[in-house]
Amino acid sequence: MPSKGYSWLVTALAIPAFLWLVPTIWMVSLSFQPNDVLARTTSSTALGLVPIPFTTDNYEALFAFGQTPWWFLNSVIVALGMTLGVLAVSTTAGYALARLDFRFKTPVMILCLIGLMVPEQAVFIPLYTMFADLGWHNSYHALILPRMAVPIGVFLMMQFFRAIPNDIEEAARLDGVGWLQIFRYIMLPLARPAMMTLAILTFLYAWNDYLWPLVSAQSRDYFTITLGLASIQSNFAQSEGLGRVMASGVIASLPVVILFLIFQRYVVQAMTVGGSKG
Amino acid sequence: MAIGGRQRNHLSQAQAAWLLLLPFLTVYGAFLVYPFFRGIWISLHDWNLLAVAFNPDAREFVGLRNYERILWGRNIEWAALANPALQITGMIGFGFSAFLYWTNRASRATAIALGLAAVLLFVLPGFHPGEGGRWYDRRFWPTVGNTILFVGWTVPGVTLSSLVLAAALNRETRAMSVLRTLFFLSQVLSVTVVTLIWQIMFSPRQGLIANITEAFGGSPIVWLTDERFAMVAIVITTIWWSLGIAMILFLAGLQDISRDLYEAGALDNATGVRAFWYITLPNLKRTITLVIVLQIILHFQVFGQSHLMTNGGPNDTTQVLVRYVYQTAFRDSELGRASAMAVFLFVIMGSFSILQFIIGREEEN
Repeated sequence: MPSKGYSWLVTALAIPAFLWLVPTIWMVSLSFQPNDVLARTTSSTALGLVPIPFTTDNYEALFAFGQTPWWFLNSVIVALGMTLGVLAVSTTAGYALARLDFRFKTPVMILCLIGLMVPEQAVFIPLYTMFADLGWHNSYHALILPRMAVPIGVFLMMQFFRAIPNDIEEAARLDGVGWLQIFRYIMLPLARPAMMTLAILTFLYAWNDYLWPLVSAQSRDYFTITLGLASIQSNFAQSEGLGRVMASGVIASLPVVILFLIFQRYVVQAMTVGGSKG
Repeated sequence: MAIGGRQRNHLSQAQAAWLLLLPFLTVYGAFLVYPFFRGIWISLHDWNLLAVAFNPDAREFVGLRNYERILWGRNIEWAALANPALQITGMIGFGFSAFLYWTNRASRATAIALGLAAVLLFVLPGFHPGEGGRWYDRRFWPTVGNTILFVGWTVPGVTLSSLVLAAALNRETRAMSVLRTLFFLSQVLSVTVVTLIWQIMFSPRQGLIANITEAFGGSPIVWLTDERFAMVAIVITTIWWSLGIAMILFLAGLQDISRDLYEAGALDNATGVRAFWYITLPNLKRTITLVIVLQIILHFQVFGQSHLMTNGGPNDTTQVLVRYVYQTAFRDSELGRASAMAVFLFVIMGSFSILQFIIGREEEN
């Protein structure tokens, strides 16, 4: 039975929540308005928050010309590649560090822990020169590989594997099952929720990453959508029309927003873990 | 047959461990550990991006001169009151943290961190060029100052608003969960989408803010090109963008506070705001510290907002450290100097990471 105070609180909070949403609504609304109208005024109806006059021209133009669809595809490839790569190296290493005994385990763990402190911004110049020497810039692997080296995923998986009780493993050992089989057939299926969390964390990061693609992808053919959007927004009003740039913004946001709305629980968990561990 | 027997075709535990670690250690070594040391090595050289690209021998070892060139100057002097506002704040801050420490109002790590920050605030602004002197790099320290200013406005802004929101939204009902989603949504957008939206929001001709101001008969502010407002605009944008994660961390912290406390508090007439003040805040102290440190690390890396919204301007007022590193490296081609700045950045952020680690440890115990 909701109390009077509670209903009052919800109403009081709905106002800032709506205001918080206004910039996003505005972007969507502008993307559905004709460019010639926007050139005159951005506040046709209800301060521009309602798309009247309405048109889908901006989206049609976006898919007819320009590189936005191509950039979108690049983002999909890079984000999926990075997600699979991070999952592969993090689950294996996380399992080894959590469940297996070997010499130099502590030094390896400390080495990985130190890596958590190194921000992308501290290594992007040497990475640039390395990749330039190898001739790797303007390629998908150049966009994917550096993030695979970040140890956050290893720690996430390690924490998860640590929490699994010992007896499952011991029973399998007694039956003569090898360590790699235990990992593959027992631990990996158990780890699905943690892998899901890590996958979403990585995908969001990959989709939204800006600095490294900016440095590495100089050819417009290898722009991700995040980078492509940055390249058209600097001269938005003159060249492409405000409506079309906003449409690009909507398209660029759709995958992460949909992912967020569907997997909200995982996203929140990923952010909590990713946040408190760097 | 299997009992006690390790079958011959199985790997030993250590072998399996190294095999499983190999993929990660390879990428980690190649793309994080090695670049890190290579970055330090580059910072010790006079290294022009284009010259070295054509001729690898064009670099010259210069020792610590790059660091001297960014951090120091000619005839630099130190005075206790060269910058009274900051230095007096530093002194007061030191006294305050000592007070917190001796009265046990803050944990040791927090008090020491605060004290150290206060000492730095007292010492660093005291340096200034003396008679006929100048900084070798006039833009470096102002850039550091802008970055600190950005962090100094954004972090309290995000922390306060997300804390209040989290406390208000900490109920398991459908309406609250929808509201939480709405506040969190902007967090998943990319920096380019966020800056795209806000660049136009702030536009004096097309912007929503200008439209509203004009509807009330005011004249619009030229947010992004006015020295007084550019940083404010970037801070507002950032608060809008990154409030969600702080809110989520606070909500997680709130879950750990026992309901009994609130029920006991209610008997003493502590409900609503009083409950927040006397029960929630004291029990949330560690989470608050953690969120603050985390935000400092996060926002010290600010780049996109400044790069895309204001180009560091007007008149360098929104130039921030990462953007300066980026420009020095890729516009001015001075990789050596840029790497020295990146190492400086790493030292600052690394110290906060250690702090975060210590607080996290305390939390577990």
